[in-house]
Amino acid sequence: MTTIASRIKSVAFVGAATLLAALSVYGQDNLVERGQYLTYAGGCISCHTEDTDDAVPLAGGRAMETPFGTFYSPNITPDEETGIGGWSDDDFVNAFWEGVSPDGEHYFPSFPYTAYTGASREDLLAIKAYLMNLEPVANESPEHDLAWYMDTRLAADGWKALNFEPARFEPDPEKDEQWNRGAYLVRHLGHCGECHTPRSTTGVLVTEEEFAGSVFGDENIPNISSHWIDGIGRWSLSDIEYFLDIGMLPDGDFTGSSMVAVIEDNTSKLTRGDRLAIAAYLKSVTPAENAH
Amino acid sequence: MQHKIIAAVAALTATMSFTALAQTTPEDAHDYRVAVMTALRGHIGAASMIARGLVSNDGHLVGHAKGLDSAANELHRVFQEGSAVVESEALPAIWDDADGFAAAIAAMTEATAAFVEAAEGGDGQAIGAAFRNVGMSCRGCHDDYRVQN
Repeated sequence: MTTIASRIKSVAFVGAATLLAALSVYGQDNLVERGQYLTYAGGCISCHTEDTDDAVPLAGGRAMETPFGTFYSPNITPDEETGIGGWSDDDFVNAFWEGVSPDGEHYFPSFPYTAYTGASREDLLAIKAYLMNLEPVANESPEHDLAWYMDTRLAADGWKALNFEPARFEPDPEKDEQWNRGAYLVRHLGHCGECHTPRSTTGVLVTEEEFAGSVFGDENIPNISSHWIDGIGRWSLSDIEYFLDIGMLPDGDFTGSSMVAVIEDNTSKLTRGDRLAIAAYLKSVTPAENAH
Repeated sequence: MQHKIIAAVAALTATMSFTALAQTTPEDAHDYRVAVMTALRGHIGAASMIARGLVSNDGHLVGHAKGLDSAANELHRVFQEGSAVVESEALPAIWDDADGFAAAIAAMTEATAAFVEAAEGGDGQAIGAAFRNVGMSCRGCHDDYRVQN
């Protein structure tokens, strides 16, 4: 039995490898399409689009209010002057992996490079291909409006030196493919912890309370650890997958929270398989009591 | 036969629905509204399990669909002026943006009517799509008119 199972596995593996190889030579259109999918998975749209009805997607300018001041997201359409039109592949990848701009300035972690650092170069360049294929929009974002002690990029530099370690995602060989895919989506591309994990007074995610809920402005962000009462331990894989698809809670209620934008611009656009992978990963997260 | 009974119950529910009486306090109106919303939630939760294929249909889906449709058609009445109370998840936008709110409710009654039709038709894929639209209409309203929590 084991031999047959492992033989099936190896056939499947060779099949998958061939498919991947075929995909990689499939051409530019395919790359752009893949990039669009990953742009959804990366949750880029909700932050890089202004919060108005007629806002151009990804042209930046959205205000993000934090205890440290108001950050304005930049334009990531391929405009040469105000967007990312002049960026090289390495510029783009370095922004995500190292949190530095093409000019060598350190980003504030309002750009969640702390999560994106785990993303693969291949995925990031697909995202870049998609963004570079968009219509360039000239839109200069307002300067960040920050507290005095933050009002210099030196603050970003210092914060990074203390709190940031660049590292790619490494699949856990003890876990299956679905779990690893979910871990990659939740912890890195999807950067779920940016809202769902509490922060210290200096804005650092408290890893001991990962996914134990947080507060953002006047909104309570729920605990999504597998705690039975406080978290989503009671939710089935189907419950989580369905929530990420249409926003329904297992009791039939519908979310009206800021998660609606995440569902609309990210999770509902993913394949059912990826939503189930997210669910499988979340079910494995250490149960934590509510942080708030 | 079963359908006729459900239709009769739905019709009865509709005729018995809320009209503010002299003795109806804002709290009563609020509590009634919460009860109607809870009924909606119950039908949605049950219908979703059938739509997702987690439990078998056995003809119950039509009942849930009609219950949803009946409650959805009552929504414009349960959010009457004067039913806003302090401890409520209803946002002032419901009354400040009456046209937008009416449009959101109209989107829901349209979706629930289509869901009844799909449930009666019995095609799994059509049921899934119609249920999804009901869900979108719930979310569309909660996004703008309910306290975020």
